[in-house]
Amino acid sequence: MATIIINGEEYPIPDGEKLNAIQMAKRVGVEIPYYCWHPSLSVVANCRMCEVEVGSKDPKTGEVKMVPKLVPGCQTPAKDGTVLVTDSERVREHQRMIMELLLLNHPLDCPVCDQAGECGLQDYSYEHGQANHRFVEERIANPRKDVSDLIQLNSDRCIMCTRCVRFTREITGTSELQVTRRGSHAEIDVFPGVTLDDNPLAGNVVDLCPVGALLDKDFLHKQRVWFLSGHDSVCTVCSTGCNISVEENKGRIWRVKPRNNPHVNDHWICDEGRYGYKADSAPDDAIPGMFVLGKDGEHAPTAIDAALRKVDRGLKDAVVDGKLVAGVLSPFLTVEEAYLMARYLKEVTAAAVLAIGPVPTVGEDRTFSPDKSEGRAGDTSFLVPRPFTIHAEKAPNARGVRAVLEHVQGSVVEYDELLGSVEAGEVGALYVAGGYTGDWIDEATAARIREKVGFVVVQDSRVSALAHKADVVLAAGTHAEKAGCYVNADGRLQYAAASLPPRDGSLPGLDIFAVLLDRPGPAVSGAVLAELAVAAPAFAAAKGGVVPDLGVDLGGEPRGGPEPPRFLDAWFVPMGAAKSR
Amino acid sequence: MATFEPVLTRNWNVPDARSLKVYESRGGYQAARKALTTMDPDAVVGLVKESELRGRGGAGFPCGLKWTFLPKDRTETLMCVNGDESEPATFNNRYLLERDPHMFLEGILISCFATRASTAYVYLRFEYINAYKIMERAIEEARAAGHIGKNIYGSGFDLDVWLHRGAGAYICGEETGLIESLEGKRGWPRIKPPFPAIEGAFRKPTVVNNIETLCCVPHIVERGASWFKSIGTPKSYGPKLYTVSGHVEKQVCVELPLGVSARELIDVHGGGVWKGRKAKAAVPGGISMGILSADELDTPLDFDGPGKVGCLGLGTAAVTVIDDHTPIIDYLHNTARFFSHESCGQCTPCREGTNWLDRTIGRIKRGGGRIEDLDVMHDLAKNMGIMPGTTICGLADGAAWPIKNAVTKFRGELEDYIRSNQVPGAGPTPLQVDVAAGRKVDLVAIGNAIPAPPPPAGALHSPGRPTA
Repeated sequence: MATIIINGEEYPIPDGEKLNAIQMAKRVGVEIPYYCWHPSLSVVANCRMCEVEVGSKDPKTGEVKMVPKLVPGCQTPAKDGTVLVTDSERVREHQRMIMELLLLNHPLDCPVCDQAGECGLQDYSYEHGQANHRFVEERIANPRKDVSDLIQLNSDRCIMCTRCVRFTREITGTSELQVTRRGSHAEIDVFPGVTLDDNPLAGNVVDLCPVGALLDKDFLHKQRVWFLSGHDSVCTVCSTGCNISVEENKGRIWRVKPRNNPHVNDHWICDEGRYGYKADSAPDDAIPGMFVLGKDGEHAPTAIDAALRKVDRGLKDAVVDGKLVAGVLSPFLTVEEAYLMARYLKEVTAAAVLAIGPVPTVGEDRTFSPDKSEGRAGDTSFLVPRPFTIHAEKAPNARGVRAVLEHVQGSVVEYDELLGSVEAGEVGALYVAGGYTGDWIDEATAARIREKVGFVVVQDSRVSALAHKADVVLAAGTHAEKAGCYVNADGRLQYAAASLPPRDGSLPGLDIFAVLLDRPGPAVSGAVLAELAVAAPAFAAAKGGVVPDLGVDLGGEPRGGPEPPRFLDAWFVPMGAAKSR
Repeated sequence: MATFEPVLTRNWNVPDARSLKVYESRGGYQAARKALTTMDPDAVVGLVKESELRGRGGAGFPCGLKWTFLPKDRTETLMCVNGDESEPATFNNRYLLERDPHMFLEGILISCFATRASTAYVYLRFEYINAYKIMERAIEEARAAGHIGKNIYGSGFDLDVWLHRGAGAYICGEETGLIESLEGKRGWPRIKPPFPAIEGAFRKPTVVNNIETLCCVPHIVERGASWFKSIGTPKSYGPKLYTVSGHVEKQVCVELPLGVSARELIDVHGGGVWKGRKAKAAVPGGISMGILSADELDTPLDFDGPGKVGCLGLGTAAVTVIDDHTPIIDYLHNTARFFSHESCGQCTPCREGTNWLDRTIGRIKRGGGRIEDLDVMHDLAKNMGIMPGTTICGLADGAAWPIKNAVTKFRGELEDYIRSNQVPGAGPTPLQVDVAAGRKVDLVAIGNAIPAPPPPAGALHSPGRPTA
């Protein structure tokens, strides 16, 4: 078995992965500080922060031979017999020097810097730096620049790790950013006449920046990061299902950050997803409560239980009248919501028609396929290039809803087919569960539905044309307000936690269906998923309602063994009180 | 040294030696013909290895050994010739290029044959416009005469030579910086491994050699390895072009066996220190190698000599003489300014360290020095360059050695300079000193006081409130 010796202790090296010294040490709880290294970017070893003493142990004699010079950990492969020393006085003195040098021209304006609290310079200064500095000259103050409408670059805070430059060259292949000038005057800049505006992944350079040089103007000076609570969620803007952390304070979402998932989004999210939270965080047109259409043609605010009784009665009346009961399940519902809704409508009448709601599509899929050579620099031997796709299908769970419908009624009725039945006057009651972030129905279609259908229920988070005409309007949670699973375009089932509590007057969709179904106890998504996993072979992989951290591939073989931990830059790891949030 | 026969400079004083006709009439391209038609490539590599030819570019890495690092199963090899001669006071490659371009081409031809490289890129310093034109013409001539091209001398070996001019950066003389620049990228040195011999220009196995190194190869092939090893001192064999400049009567480039002393170079070849003065110090081989004090001028200038007296090495064998009228701070100022200007900005220690040293030395020169600055400089130089492995390439080492040498060897003079040159206003302000030392800044004392706000209103019994 391959082993590595770190600070005198022997550890086994995991099979099947090519790790460098930083990654290997991190796995066993030894921290090697770094700035410029990133697992998805090529190794250039220019910050020199991760330098450690490296040696090798002769397998026969057991003799340890050290390399006389310091070697960057990022370019040192973790091989059998490698010896790492990360805490010697020599290494510490080198780290102190690097910290002192990086801070020579750094403005130390932490009190007004957005990065403060999750800053590599702050964390490592505390851990590896020294309290005084000996530099008594004038600092070089580079200017502040705008590199796009959404991103600003404070060159004075930059430590020239070139992560952002490598990202635009290696991952998006668009090369907007470059290093200009030379030596201590070197600055990051865009090429003349070029901005990051056209780069759909531009926001990632802000996440990559270890200091406060690249900042998101959307978030600028709005919150201190230590007040934010992050919630592990899944992006619902398209069917990629990027893993995100929704960061919220006092009931409002302030920003969205990507979470590493090698099977889905690697380390990135697109700007559309990054700023898509605005639709979910207290939208202006949120449905404020439950409403029932009165005889006077006005919607009257109604208590939740009364509104739900009205729904149940209306649907059952249609069955008595011999009319069809139909449901529209939008692709924005979670798997659990879709399952409970389908079960409820089938319980009302086994003849209920369940259709999938319109699936919004914009443009074409756009895939970034970085490889090991294109635009790369330095050492690429540790890289595992992973593609990143922005899907044209702008809904998170079309696959999941279809799978649920196929299980419950054997086939999926398309939205247009259902509209045909409505047009033919066959449908007596219609239950529409929305959740769309944009307008999904036009005025004319809504009017036709109203005219042809006797009883219309709209359960949604935002006001739509149909909600204005519905008999009962139910206020359901936005994506941020509900927990549940989504199935992405590749068939991966992923769990998204709720980021915000349900807003006043609303109930998350799952609770609404649980009440309608008379389910005892609180509606817990895991319990519903466990039932579904038993009932539907398509969801068997989610046995017991437990979804692994990185999600589970519904179609594929279950993976054996534990997955490697998600990568998170050391300075983003919550510390102190934030750890327990 | 009566028996020493110069070979590298043998055509320099011949009229029209640049032309192929004259070069051939003096035995030119015979070594290449011999190598290509009668020898096996590996035999040439073996011969060069046996001669223990060490690279003339500065680091002194054995040339033959470098060639053996190429992977055995390679399909394509590239040769890069490093003609980015940017070390201050170094001009031996320039002489070789301008006076005897065909000897250089012959060296390229034999070396490419030995390493099976079918393409050679000659990376010339931007400022060498004349050399570029001369080389262009020489390549044309050689191509027309069949010394370059397809199936050279019927041996089945093809070679193409391209000239490439840099854009004026010192860092592009570092072999991987050169390769990056040749590829059209920013001249930032690459991390090693992979070494260029495994993955170099355009991700192909690449040999990078200095011009003077390649110029030695034809003579080794012609006269044999034992001839080459009969010249010079142990472990430093062969002839070397020394350049002497600075405060001497005549600045020259002379060919001498390795191991000549700096004093001999100055007194015999440079005509002595100018204006009848005495030498205070001399740079042994380009400013990045450090500095020799007057007592150390008898050091033999071979690959190991300067290292014994606290310098980095032989470097480019460019001796610069500093006379006793020149303050050593001027030498330091120029050196630090050069490295600060030429640092590529990739690695933290070099980018920030060279700038810091430059600013500190500039302040000392302006009359704002403090004695403790010397300790800070020495400490910084030790950490950023003297300790190996702190940066990707050797520029930080080159920036650190002159500082370390000067501060240790001329500390008395520097302290005297600082004490006797104090100009009001040139030093750091009390605020800067306080901030740097981490002391609480007394705003009243520095005249930057904002009126103290009234004490905050608090409850009568709030903790910490002084009792009346």
